[in-house]
Parts: sequence; C-alpha cells; structure tokens
Amino acid sequence: MTSKFSVIGQRVHNIDGTEKVTGSAKYTFDVVLPNMLYGKILRSPHPHAKILKIDTRQAKKLIGVKAVVTGKDTLGRKQGIWRRFPELCDEEILCRAKTRYIGDPVAAVAAIDEDTAEEALDLIEVEYEPLPAVFDPLEAIKEDAPQVHDGVELNININRHIEWGDVDEAFRKCDHIREDQFKCSSQAHVCMETHDAVASFGHNGKLTVWTSTQSSYYIQRLYADMLDMRESDIRVMNRHTGGGFGSKFELDSAQFCAAILSQKLCQPVKIVLTREEEFTATKRRTPMYYFLKLGAKKDGTLLAKEARVITEGGAYTAMGATALYLTGFFSSFPYKYPNYRYDGYRVYTNTAPTSAMRGFGAPQSTFVGESQLDMMAEDLGIDPIELRRKNGMTPDYEVPGQAFIQSCGLHQCLDKIEEHIKKRGKLPPNHGIGVSAYGFMSGGIFNWFNTPYAFSAAVVRINIDGKADVYTGACDIGQGSNTTLAMICAEELGIKLEDVRVFSGDTGICPPDLGAWGSRQTLMSGNAVKRAAAECKSQIMEFAAAKMGVNIVYDLDIKDGWIHIVNRPERGVSYYDIVKGAIRGKDGVAIMGRGHYTPHRKGMISPAYSFGVQAAEVAVDVETGRYKLVNVTTAHESGTVINPIGIEGQLEGAIMMAGGYGYCEDQPMDEGKILNPSIADYKLIRSLDMPETEILEIDTYEPEGPFGAKEAGEGLTNPTAGAIGNAVYKAVGVRINDLPITPEKVFKALKEKEKKKKAK
Amino acid sequence: MIHDFEYFAPKTLKEALALLDKYQDDCKVICGGQSLLVLMRQGLVAPPYMIDIKGIAELSYIKDDKDGLKIGATTTHRAIEKSPVVKKKYPVLAKMETRLASIQTRNWGTIGGNVCHGDPAGDPLPVLIALGATLTMTGSKGKRSMPAENFCLDYFETALEPGELLTEIALPVVPPNTGTAYTKFNVIESDLATVGVAVSVTLGAGDSCQDIRIALGASAPTPIRPKKAEAILKGKKITDALLAQAGETASTEADPISDIYASEEYRRELIKVLVPRLTREAMANAKKA
Amino acid sequence: MKKELKLKVNGQPYELYIKPKTLLVQVLRDHIGLTGTKRGCNDSSCGACTIMLNGMAVKSCSILALQANGCEVVTVEGLAKGNKLSPLQNAFLDHGSYQCGFCTPGMLMSSTALLAENPKPTKEEIKEGIDGNICRCTGYNSIIRAVTAVVKGEYKEAK
Repeated sequence: MTSKFSVIGQRVHNIDGTEKVTGSAKYTFDVVLPNMLYGKILRSPHPHAKILKIDTRQAKKLIGVKAVVTGKDTLGRKQGIWRRFPELCDEEILCRAKTRYIGDPVAAVAAIDEDTAEEALDLIEVEYEPLPAVFDPLEAIKEDAPQVHDGVELNININRHIEWGDVDEAFRKCDHIREDQFKCSSQAHVCMETHDAVASFGHNGKLTVWTSTQSSYYIQRLYADMLDMRESDIRVMNRHTGGGFGSKFELDSAQFCAAILSQKLCQPVKIVLTREEEFTATKRRTPMYYFLKLGAKKDGTLLAKEARVITEGGAYTAMGATALYLTGFFSSFPYKYPNYRYDGYRVYTNTAPTSAMRGFGAPQSTFVGESQLDMMAEDLGIDPIELRRKNGMTPDYEVPGQAFIQSCGLHQCLDKIEEHIKKRGKLPPNHGIGVSAYGFMSGGIFNWFNTPYAFSAAVVRINIDGKADVYTGACDIGQGSNTTLAMICAEELGIKLEDVRVFSGDTGICPPDLGAWGSRQTLMSGNAVKRAAAECKSQIMEFAAAKMGVNIVYDLDIKDGWIHIVNRPERGVSYYDIVKGAIRGKDGVAIMGRGHYTPHRKGMISPAYSFGVQAAEVAVDVETGRYKLVNVTTAHESGTVINPIGIEGQLEGAIMMAGGYGYCEDQPMDEGKILNPSIADYKLIRSLDMPETEILEIDTYEPEGPFGAKEAGEGLTNPTAGAIGNAVYKAVGVRINDLPITPEKVFKALKEKEKKKKAK
Repeated sequence: MIHDFEYFAPKTLKEALALLDKYQDDCKVICGGQSLLVLMRQGLVAPPYMIDIKGIAELSYIKDDKDGLKIGATTTHRAIEKSPVVKKKYPVLAKMETRLASIQTRNWGTIGGNVCHGDPAGDPLPVLIALGATLTMTGSKGKRSMPAENFCLDYFETALEPGELLTEIALPVVPPNTGTAYTKFNVIESDLATVGVAVSVTLGAGDSCQDIRIALGASAPTPIRPKKAEAILKGKKITDALLAQAGETASTEADPISDIYASEEYRRELIKVLVPRLTREAMANAKKA
Repeated sequence: MKKELKLKVNGQPYELYIKPKTLLVQVLRDHIGLTGTKRGCNDSSCGACTIMLNGMAVKSCSILALQANGCEVVTVEGLAKGNKLSPLQNAFLDHGSYQCGFCTPGMLMSSTALLAENPKPTKEEIKEGIDGNICRCTGYNSIIRAVTAVVKGEYKEAK
C-alpha cells in the first residue's frame, strides 16, 4: 500500500545523525571559549538551616580563583516556573538567608580550571544554624511540623481539586468498592549529559548562554526575571543536548551561578554539574502517597473513583505543582468514570525539590490505577482486559468539564494486546503477563508560566535554491524534534527532507516556543511549522498558478519537488524553478512564512491525547524474589506516525526508564540525604537487563495534530510500572503496592503469603 | 578531584619493591586502577607518590603445569576470561570473570588489583577460596604465601604488609570428580554482588560429597568459608534436607549488613537459598568433569 | 612534575607534557581537543568515555594518561575513513541507534572493539559487549539491532 505521504512515515536518518555518530555533535559539555573560566558551586550540607555568615576571603586568595559569589551578589529575587502565581515562585537558587535541602546552593566560584575551583570551595567558610527539618510529607502536613517556607500553613505548597458527577452518591449505588493505598517513589532523570551552562556577559551588559535545555525560551525568560534584564538582551542557545526527560526546562544552579559569576567578571564561565550534584541537587520525579477508592457494578461498569494524593514537594515548587495537577487528571484515564473526585496536596519538605519527569505524574497515577483495576477485576471475576474494554475511553469522548478526547485508539490497542497474550499461550510456571493501559496529553493547555507569546511559533524561509530553513524555538533533546519538524515542513511544502534545514532552540534567531516538555512539540511546534510552511506554499502556488495558467477549477499541489495539477500529475513545473521566479517576483526577497499555535477551546488539559496498552511478561524466581523482565509488548497509537524510527526509539527508551521505575530505580534517603548519588549505586537497566520489546502500531488520525499526529514520548512511560506489578501478581500471586517492586519486596510478600497459607 | 602526585613506572618487580621500600606509607600502587582511580577522583585517596606496576611484564602470566595454574597478579580479568586453559580446566573462573563489571573494566583491570582492594563483595575471592587458591606476596625481604581465605582481614583491608606486592595466585590441580560453581545475586546483571556464593564439590562413591568448600561474598566484612555448613555436607550423601540445613547454617555463620540494596535478613535468606542451589550446580559440574 | 607522554591517537602521533594525575580522557578531550569522547559519571560506571586502547575497549576516565604511553588509541573520530563512515556508524544511522547521542561515541567504540575481537558474536555477546555503556534514551535494542545487522554482513567496510 503506497503511503499518501512522501516524507512522513518514512524511515529516515535523524537529520543530526551524522554529527552524532561521528562524535562531531557539540554539546554544551564541549563548549570552550576564549578567556573562559570554570565554575563550581558550594552547597548546603544541611536539610534546613539559616545562613549566618559566609566568609569567602580565603577562597578569593587562592591562586587561580577569579571570583566568588554568594546570594548577596544577586538581586535577591525568587523564581519559579509557575510565574502566574508569585507565591509559587519561591526559589532563589543562590540562597541568601536560608537553605532548605541538602544541596541548596550558597556560593559559587570561578577559577582558571575546575580543580582550582573545587579547591576554592573547601576554603569558603559558611556558618549555618541548623533548623529542625521534615522529610516525609505525611509528617510535614502536621500542625507541629517545621515550616519549610514562612507563612505556608501545614507546609501545603498547593492543592488541587478535580470533580465531576456525585461520587458519594455513586458509591452508594456500587455493588463492590475497593480502597487501596500505594506509595510511588522518586526517580532520577539520569541524563547522560549533566546540567551545564556556559554563560557569557559582554561588556555591553548582554548575556549569551550555551546550555543543555529543553526550553531555551523558558531559561531566557527566567534569567530576565532573576537578573532584571530585558528578555531580548539575553540569548540562550540549546546546543545538542544530552537528554532532558523533564529535568532541564527550569532555571538551574549551573545556569544561574555561571551567569552571576560571568556578570561580575565579563568573562565566560562554564559550570558542569558533577554526577553527584545531578543526583542530589537537581529536580526529580515526585514521590506520592496515593489513596484510591474505586466503585463498580458487578457487571464491571465503573461508577465512581476517588483519588486522594499527598506528594512530597521537596524544598521548592518548581514544576511539581503541574505534576500534582496532572496526576489527578490522569488518574481518571483512560476510562469513562461518570463520577470522579480528586484531591491532591503538594507538601513542602526539606528534601531535593520534586518536579517534572517524563510522564509528569501519570506514571504514578497509571501504576496505582492499573494495579487497582486488576484487583477489582479479580474481585468481580471479570477478565482484566474485558474490564478495561467495558469502561475504556472512545473517540469523541468528553471528560466532563475537563477535556475533549478526539482520536482514541484504546480499544484497538486492547484488542491487539489480547491477541498477543493469546498467542503467548500457556506460560511456564512462575511466569506472568500483566497489562496496563494509559492515555496521555500532547502538550498542556495551561499557561502557568504566564507567557504572552503563542505556545509555539515558527518561521520558514525558502531560499533561491529551493531549500527551506525552519526557525523554531522547539528544542531537540534527543527525541528527534528537529527531524520531525523537518519532515512536517518537507511534507507540507512537497519537497525532500534533504531540502530542509532546521535552526532550533536559539532565542537569538528562533521565535519563542515553550519547549520540549509535556510531550507537546510534535503537535504544537509541529502545527506552527506546518502553518509557516503552508504560508510559504501558498506564496509559491500563487506564482505557480500564474506561470501555469491552468483553468480555475483545477487544484495545484506540490509533491517531491513537482508542482502539478492534482488530477493530472504529469502536468506541472519544477518547484525549484518556481521558487527562483517567485523570489524574482518579490523583488529578490526570500519567500517567508510564519506560523503559530496556541490551543484554544480545547478543554482544560490538552488538545489531544494518545493511548496505549502494554503487556509485560515477567519470570519470577520464587526462592529469591528476583524476576526477569522477559518481554514488553506495547500496542499504542499516536495518530499519524511522522517519524517511525523516532517513535520506536521513544517506546524502547521509555520501557528502559519506566521499567526501571517499576523494578529498581529509587532514591532512598536518610534525614534528607540521598544515599545513592552515583550511577554505580543508582540501579539502572542496562543492555543485559533490557527485555525483548515489541511494538504494535495502531492507526489513528488526530484532527488537531499536524497531518493527524499527536504525542509519543511521555505517554509511553506511563504503563510499565503497572504492567510489571500486574505481571508479578499473575506470576506468583503477590501484590506490591509501593515502588519500586524490588526482589526483596517480592520475596517478603511470598513468605507472608506462605505463612498465611500455612496458618489456614 | 585527583590530587597531584609523583609518578613512577618501574619495569621490573625488583625496581617496584625498591620504590615501595623507599616511599612506604606515602605511596600507592596502581595497576589497572579500576578501583583506585574511582577513590582518587572522589578525593578519598591522595598519595604523594604513585607506583604504576602495569608495565611489569614478569607479573602478567597464566601458566599451567603439573602443580596447577599460576596466574600473575597483573593479569587482566579479560585475559583470564579468554584463556583457553582457564576455560578448560577452571571454567568457573572464566565464568566468574564474564560477570565481573564490564568488558571495559576487565580489559584493563587486573585480578591482583581486585583481590588487593579487599572488597568483600568482589567476585574473584569467593571463587579463589572455593578453588583452594594460594596467594603469594613478595617484598624486598622475600616471598610468603597464604590460602586465599586468609588474605582479607576486614572491609577493604588485606594481609599485605607495607613494602609487599601481591605477585601470584596459584590454583591447585582440580581433583577428579570435582565441580565448582559461582553466582552472585544482584538486581542488575553486571552489578556488584548483594550476596556471592561459590561452592566446590568433590564427589565420592554413590554421589556422596567427599569434599566441599563453600565461600560467601558480600556476607561479612571479608569473604568467608562457612565451615559448619561444610561439615554438614562433607562425607555425606547429599539430600535436599541436608542441603537446606547447610543453607540455614551458612546463613547463621554469615554476618551481612543492611544497606540500601538489601536488608541483613534478606541477605541471610539469599544465602539459605543459594548455598543449596550452588552445591547442586557444583555437583552437576562434577559429574560432567 | 610533568612527564612526557607519547601516544598515537587515530593514527596520528602526539607528544605531550602532562601532570601525572591527568586522565586519558582529559588528554583526549582537553589537550588534543577530540571532544567526541564524553564523560557522564565519576565512578567508572557509565561508559560514555569508552575508547579503544591497543584494540581493547577501555574507559578513558579510568586510566592515567601516562599508562597509555606508547599505545595506540582510537576514538570515535577515528572510525570514519575520510567521509566514509564505518559499517557500524552506517548501521547506527539506519537503525536510529542513538537519540541524544551523548552515549553514542562510547557505544560505537564498545561495538567496534567487540566486532574487532569477535566478528560473529551472538545476541547475548552483543548485549554483553555494550553492557558497560549506559544509554538513557534508546533502551539498547536499536543498538543491538544495528550491531546484528553489521554481523550479518549488511554493511560493507569502506575502501
């Protein structure tokens, strides 16, 4: 079957691929500038403390040290991503009076090399007054708990309520109700490139920054807030970025401290966080206590769901408020609950701030929801897939008062997975297959950042040789957005992928874009690029029509560089020739188009949602509790597939990350101190641990998305923990409600089960 | 950060020992550096003098003779892993090496360096103990040898005296009807052992256990031989009940810690399961031999 | 006191004068300027710094540069012949075996070393070959597919 598309859907090389496989791709990590200094950050060793005095004199005397800064060298402002609510902009970064977690920055040094800068840190004398600290949100929410931020009652940073229907009335009508508690753990992003920045203040007072980021625009705007500068006097450039996963779209200590130091010296300053700082002093996935109540009729109709969540906020708001909101919303996914209620509280604690990580609260809500659903299925004696089928969302469904689901391939995904499980047949002993369904957003509607700009904007410029330059603020952090956007541009213009060049993530030349988070770029940045390309196309078509002089009833289109009559493709002209004529016709001005996209009237959450169902097979060693992830098969739909290699990569990578969330990744703490801040100690799935993966693509079309496309990056991290939990239960009959599901927990549960059996 | 040091790269053992005598506690020996450099990069170890023995060719060898196998201390893990004679005569050693860290580490790291690091969770020592290895240390005053199981004294502390280098690991000829097995329990395949178990069994008449050596790693401050557990099995016909008893006993002889990877209780439970399991595997290997 | 270091990198001889504490990765990245080799951790666990030293895959962050004296080093920059990419590089491109690309140089070096030593590895051996390299983006399977394709002979060495 021939594709109706020329470029979209093709298996192409990533347009940055050659640079990456030859080692010539330059990351911020590689940036070296003339006269550049190296910076290091001194961080508080206390979970909660007043800063009484900082003496930097000895550090300043060390040969090779050029500057030492503290909070006193800043304007003393606070910042945060939720700019619409000033009280939620609570992070100074370089602390002045108080530090609130182990790792909170108190000073920074710039020196001629990293070793000298590190030596200087030891010479900075800080006098702290340790304060009582609180680590668990369930403790922090008590009356007598230490206050993390002054004036914040019960340490409640923010709370969220979502409701429709009448949950209490509905529960009365249920035949069966389940109440379950869960604990979702933290998780570290572990980007291969740690947070880093090279900040360069010129003598003209303008700031240029090279940094590893998911949103150059956000960083630019937050710099402007913190430094009291005009946004346009700051240029932020995203080089190739070694991973983000949600950790790199907030102003971080490397970026801010490098800028403060550079401001003092008018020299470029480079700060690269160590892996230990990466684990302890950057943001992480939000741990959550989850209380779920689910009610159903005996035929399996789900009538009501209530979710109460308390999240560990850590020391600052960051993007954690969004995670609180999204976990509450996605707790209703992907099922049609006629009655639903969510109450979530984000509670400040004296631990590293919790914020955004791939999935943004949905891996947590999917783990707990899908676990409970399987439990409900067992209670009712209904097949777990059947229960999901009975209640699953369908196309054109409205989540009451919240969201419009247009395209939805959930049921096809359920069918595919059911087929897959049947094909597997009878499993060996102690093997189990667990299922988990999800739905996720393609970017958010909300504007807590308070940008005055369109959420995505793009410019396309066609040059005399027919090549198209795309200017987009979207950031390629490895997910391949440069390639996806180039493909969208090429498809829209009817030219080849090689004819497109992308300039991205540079605030100096690209229009603003909110960046790579919430899985928004394919849909939102994609729409902006498509519209900009369409504007160029209409200009080209004007000239083509003039040149070809065809009857008004005929339509023209461009495909493979050939402008032709739609129903008579043999009659046409070369796009490349027309471009030359068009530019001459415009008095030598290149053809340009602008496009932008901001979702309007799309509900409260997102313009589009992607869905999927995942089946994880595990093999459990019942004597030790250890289990192997044998196979993870995912049926998913993400509208039109623009970049199939990209999507497969997103899925397999998601399984590694989400599988880790389910199986082994954790950040145990002792009095606010993270105990495993190294790659050796923080367990990650490696190639020998990676399961076989299978992808079953379901065809859907999302009207809101460019060429029908929607997200396929974050949603895929949602189901795996739940699938693993359900698989372990299927295999050996034990249910673990707190993540990660480690061999020790499985072992203990098996022993408990044995004990109970003997007791009977 | 690594602190500055003066660097020497002796080409002979004699040169190296002279340097050790000269600098005493002020120097550290580096070979593969796969453990040492991690500590130095974190600033935990900062010797003013570094003696690099990687280039001492006379210390890198695998010799097979009538007395058994002799491995020079600076032999890389990878050389052992790939050695035809090791794979043939001491397959458990090669197998252990395949699960040690990563190929990159094994290409440069050495068995001597690993053993001298004294990590109770290390892979080689339990296997060497089960095989009845003898370690030889050489100083300027001469050589001395001891059984592998006596080499570690405490966490990261070995019997090496100042001025001494570990120079050779000797394995006795494998008696007939003997099989050895090793495993480490971990959550990620190539990870350090949460608990490591090596068992060597020599079968006697009627599939009885004529001789047995069990070595446990990551179960105490040093690798240990749970001798009471061995006594339960030695000279007996092996039954499931006996194996279970041996496992129980071994778990009581162990002295594991609780840390973020596993609780003490879980480590003991793992020993209870793995000692019988590995004994059966060793017996099966013995039958094949 | 600085010491002399003589080594070949990607076929090119270098003569340097360095502090003994200098790591091989620092010589490659900072002294010679070959920034393809990356660093991602401080405890020799991530493999991003993997290069080939006398044909063996090693972590350049865990070797004192002076230990490479007289040795031949190959970094990711040495894999292509002029503008002709190596079979593995081409396979990586075709299979999308990279995303952010930060671990990619190390993955390529581990795979290249693996195939140099064993041109017909099994799937398990390929997994072992890259087990010392962490990738946070791809989930490894696309890398394994690329290496498998090279093993099967789908890519020819450039002349």
